[in-house]
Formats: sequence, structure tokens, C-alpha cells
Amino acid sequence: MAVGQRAIEAAGLRHAPGRLERLRQWWEQEDVFGYGLILPALVLLTCLVAYPFGMAIYFSLSDYWVGSPGQFVGLANYREVLGNDVFRQTVQNSFVFTGIALTLKTVLGVWLAVLLARDIRFRRVLRGAVLLPWVIPTALSTLGWWWMFDSLYSVVNWTAIRLGIMSAPGPNWLGQSSYAMAAVIVVNIWRGLPFFAITVLAGLMSIPREFYEAAEVDGATSRQRFWHVTLPLLKPVLAVVILFSTIFTFSDFNIVQVLTRGGPVNSTHLFATLAYQIGLQGGNLGQGAAISLFLFPMLAMVVFLQLRYIRKD
Amino acid sequence: MNGTTRRQFLKVSATTSTGLATWLALDRAPAFAQKRELTFLSWNHFVPASDDELRRQAEVFSKQANCTVRVDTMAHLQMPAKVAAEAQSQSGHDMYRSAGADPFLYEHLHANLDDLVDKLGKQFGGWYPFAAEMNQTKSGWKGVPWFWVSFPGTYNQAHFKKAGFENPPKTWAELLSMGKALKKQGNPVGIPISHCSDAHSTYWSVAWSFGAKVLEADGKTPAINSDKTAHVLDWYKELYAEAMEPEVLSWDDAGNNRFLLSGKGSWIHNPVSPYNAALKEKMPIADDINHHNSPAGPAGAHSAPPILGMAVWKFSKNVELAKEFIQFLFKKENYDAWIVASNAFNHPPLRHLADHPIWARNPKFAMLPKEAEFGHPRGWPAKPSDAVQRIDDNYVMADMVAKVVNGMPPKRAMEWAQDQVARAIKGQLKVG
Repeated sequence: MAVGQRAIEAAGLRHAPGRLERLRQWWEQEDVFGYGLILPALVLLTCLVAYPFGMAIYFSLSDYWVGSPGQFVGLANYREVLGNDVFRQTVQNSFVFTGIALTLKTVLGVWLAVLLARDIRFRRVLRGAVLLPWVIPTALSTLGWWWMFDSLYSVVNWTAIRLGIMSAPGPNWLGQSSYAMAAVIVVNIWRGLPFFAITVLAGLMSIPREFYEAAEVDGATSRQRFWHVTLPLLKPVLAVVILFSTIFTFSDFNIVQVLTRGGPVNSTHLFATLAYQIGLQGGNLGQGAAISLFLFPMLAMVVFLQLRYIRKD
Repeated sequence: MNGTTRRQFLKVSATTSTGLATWLALDRAPAFAQKRELTFLSWNHFVPASDDELRRQAEVFSKQANCTVRVDTMAHLQMPAKVAAEAQSQSGHDMYRSAGADPFLYEHLHANLDDLVDKLGKQFGGWYPFAAEMNQTKSGWKGVPWFWVSFPGTYNQAHFKKAGFENPPKTWAELLSMGKALKKQGNPVGIPISHCSDAHSTYWSVAWSFGAKVLEADGKTPAINSDKTAHVLDWYKELYAEAMEPEVLSWDDAGNNRFLLSGKGSWIHNPVSPYNAALKEKMPIADDINHHNSPAGPAGAHSAPPILGMAVWKFSKNVELAKEFIQFLFKKENYDAWIVASNAFNHPPLRHLADHPIWARNPKFAMLPKEAEFGHPRGWPAKPSDAVQRIDDNYVMADMVAKVVNGMPPKRAMEWAQDQVARAIKGQLKVG
């Protein structure tokens, strides 16, 4: 065909290409077509990620109030926020919350995934059921937990008292600092565990059976098989899951907002809830933006370190 | 396609495009579809029948004014974020239920309602000062006071009688001594010390009764660190230890209602909603629940009732219609019907509307209108401002009290709170 076309062109018989034809030719160039394909995603990212992010930086550098543009104030908002001990407590809370929740989610997630990988009855139903906490809207499921931790009608306390594990009236889950932190961590773990378990399960499924068989032939116990076969091969999957979960956990909002609204005495405030309280409830968008932007360098660092670790592997 | 010639097609499409272009250019619906729509963002009322009545009246007004009135309601805790979003995007509803210092926070975005407020005030014997102050900014009335919510003592008479008390407490000191006996009896009292708005309402009331302040009258000087506040904190500490239980540290706004309705609690500082809920659900405890005026202290009786208003956005295209609607809601027969629907929860901010027989008829409500005599807007003696709102929004006083009942020396807690109040003032919104 190409030869034929060239022959026609050589003979000067072909007409000059029309406008549509020229457009088609331009469009079909590899670099144009490639950019054309990623353009919709780029537009979406610009509108939904880059623009709000740019606005947040702009807000954080101005004394911007809801509905009234402010003046450029440089880093004054950041200085103000850093000088506030409620913020400093929030930083501490965020690390405690994320550290404990993430560790437990990782350990329990791997454990649950190993259990689900076994040949057990109703395996499919169980795998589906495990996903439920992840699927239900957080605000709704957290309301259920809120009732379970209620000071008067706590089913957790009621059961534990009846079983003789606790003495009446039991802990005041949402009213005492350490219990409240424990409560929000428990709910975060409950909610985030399925994500860990199912992703790790997918990683487990991709490990070839031959490795286990070879290890068994070499006389490895099940514990040795886990430490020397499963875990090293799971590392890349785990690293990605931990990366995502770090971001989700640090920026959690719903659970704390529904259960404690940052109380008691700000002991469960996270960046997002404090930013909401100051930026939206209090109307001080500048400071609210500054608080939420403190998340950015921290998360960027986490992402950088983890991606480097994954690549090295 | 049969029967459509190219010429016809061109004609139809040209007409349509011209029509569409005109519509877009005028930013107005074509005449045949033109019916004004007024949108009102309100809250989910604690007494739902009150919202039903509001919608019914909106329906009547729609017919009278040949328009459509849409009343949207949402949870009160979500309102600040929604209102902030509307202010920021300058679009959304035409009017909304304002609360706290909203008229000050959004002063330049609210339509001026001077003429309407003036007219209603003259018609109904004047506005209560505390309600008026919440809407009257330096640049005029940026909202119409809609209703206020009395914040009396709400108690279980049976528990009090059992403990040997014929009458409810008249002072906060009496509440403390009675509370000790009531707790021993297994019926503690309860004031929330947590991140909820009831915690503020009570704190302001107690603090003023002890002569304590949060701000000086100039609104720019923090005044929380004082001997008077130290007395307030001592009182709270003793009440918490000897008359309450730790659950008050975790309550939301409904926590104290549940506490009283469960039969365990003997006394709370709250509007009449638990009683109304008990009546509605036909709970036997309704007979035992009664109310009394908010207790007094060494500096007299003071109350910080929540005050709600109606504000109209300046960016609304229906400012005049919104004003007509507000005026309609304030017609005596309409306002009266709304009070009845709320079963005395909604208190009128206008003196003559407060003569409604519902309060006189039920002895359990008889003392409620008196609460207006010692009500103040939050921040008093300072004028309401966005800084005061921010002090409440950041739960400064609730946290100060919580720190003390958890063992922090009052002096340190007051210094912490003083610093927080100073920050709220420093970041004050500058209205140009």
C-alpha cells in the first residue's frame, strides 16, 4: 500500500491533503497523540489537586478570612500556629495516633491476610465480609462506635462488666485523654484493616508455591517459612500499603470529628480537625490552611523515603 | 429526517440559539418559566415540629407572593462549614439561620436590614437588648433576631424530694451542696465540660454570676486571668469531684439530655428539650422533670442563651423577597403558631410576642420568659465579635475547666486560657 501511495505521489497524481487530513496527520504524531491522551487527566489534576493546593499556599500566606480577601502576611500564620500549644499538642497527637494505628494495622493486616489465604470454608464470603468496614461510609460506621463508647450506654463497658473484666462503671472512653486516644485509634484500625489485609492477601497470592515447597523440603518450620519466604517477598507490597496508609491516617478527619471533636482538652485533635475548627468554624482560613499545610512536608518526606526504599529493593 | 429541509433546520437552530443567548445574557429564566424562588438554609430544629410549622408557613407565603420558598435544613454542627462555603463562593441560599457572631463574621456579606428591624421593633414593643446586640453591627443590622433559647435549670423533682430538697437550687453554691447529697443518692448533677456548645452556655452563665469576665468591655483586653475566674474554677472542681461523674467530660450537646432522661441524672443546665422529648415519647419521667430559673451567684443571675437570627446574603438576587418572607414569619399569628409548635422552646426576641399564653398555661414553663431579663450575648461586657465567636469555637473555657478538674492548678489553666483569648483577639477579622 505504502509503495503504491509513493508511486502515486511520484507520479504527481495525488491531490494536496485537505484540512481534515492535515489535522489527522498532526494528531497522529506520537508526541501530540500521547499528550492528547493524558490531557484529560492533567486537567482534572490541575483543577482538583494543583489549584486547591496553590490556593491553600496562598491562603496560608495571607490573613484571608472566609468571604473576605486578606493581605499578604508572609509566614505570620505559621509563626502564630507554631506558637500555639494546641497546635503543638496536635502534632504530638498526630504522631501518636499514626504511629500506633499504623503499627497495629500492619501487624494485624498481615496476620489477617495469612489467615484469609488459607484453605478454609466460606473463604470467599469471609474475604468479602472483611471488606465491610472499608466499604461503609466512615461517618456512619463511626456513629455506631460513638454509641458503643457512650458514657451512659456503652455496650463495650456493659459487656466487659457483665463478663467481670471491668469494674463498674468502666472507663469513660471519650472523656479521658488516654482512653479517648485509644478509642479513635481502635476505630481507625477497624476501618483501615481491610485495606491492609486485602492488599497483602493479593501480594501473598502472587508468591509462587514452589518457594514454600522448596523451603518445606529444606525442613523449614512454618514460622521460618513466614520470616524467610513470605515477608521478604511481601516487602514491596507492604511498603506501598504502608505508604498509602500513612497518608490516610495522618490526614484522618471523620473518626475524630464524630467521636470527640478533638476533645477532651484537645487530646485527640489531628491536623485536619484542628484546621477545620480554626479555618472553617472560626473563619480564619489563613491559619486553617497553614495548619493543614504542615502535613505536606511531613508526608512528602514519608513518600520520598518510602519510594526510595521501594526502588532500592 | 423526512420533511426537514436544510432551510427549516437552520431557522429552528438560529431561533433556539438566539433565545438561549438572550437567556444567558440576561441571566434570567425565560418569561414562561419565571417564578421567583427564595431559598432558606436553616438547622434541624431540636423540636422537629417547629420545622414542620416553618415549612407550612413557607408554603402559605409561596402562594401569597407567587413564588417558591425552599427551606433546607441541616444538622446544627454542620452549619458553620456550610455557611462559610456559601460566604466564600458567594453563592448558595438567599438567606440562612445565623448563630453566634455570624452577623459580625460576615458583616460585609450580609444585606442591611435596618428598615425591617426598625419596623418590627416598633410593631412589637421593642427588641430585647441581648438579642438585638447579636445582630447590630457598626455598619447596621446584619440580621433579624429570630428567637432565643432559654437556658434554665432542668431537674428531676422526684430525685430532689428523695434527697430532702423541696426546692431547686437558687444559687450555684446551693447547687454544689445539693449536688453532693444527690450524687451520694446515686443521682449526680451534670454540666458538660467538653467540646460542645452547651459547655459554653453554662460557663458564661456561671462566670458572670461569680463576677468573672473573659474580655474587658473594650473587647480587646483579655480578662480571664483573675481571682474571680479562680473562684469559678474552684467551684467547677468541687462540683466535678463531689456532685458529678467523669462522663461530663465526653458529652456532646445531647449528652446531658440523655443523662436526665435515663433517670440517673438529677439536674442539668439546659433548654426545655428533654422535657419536650419526654412528653413526645410519652415517657413517665416527664412528670418528674421541671424547670427553674438559671441559678445566681455573688454577682447576681446571668444567662447566655443561644440567640439565633435570620440573615440575608448580599449576593442574593432576592433580598426584598427575603425581607417580605421574614416579615411574614413575624406576623403575630404565624409567630404564635411557631411558638406552639416548638412547645415553648422558641422564645421571641420581641417583647410583645413574649406574652404568648403557652408560658403562663404550663407551670413548668411559667418562669422561662424571665430568663430574658438577665440574658447577655457571649463576650459581655464586651460587644459580640468574631473574636468572641472564635473563643467559643476553640472551646477555650471548656478546656480550661477540663484542665483544672483533671488536676492542673487553676493559675496555670487561667494563664493558658488567657493566652488563647489573646490569640483570638490578635487574629481578629478586620472589617474595612
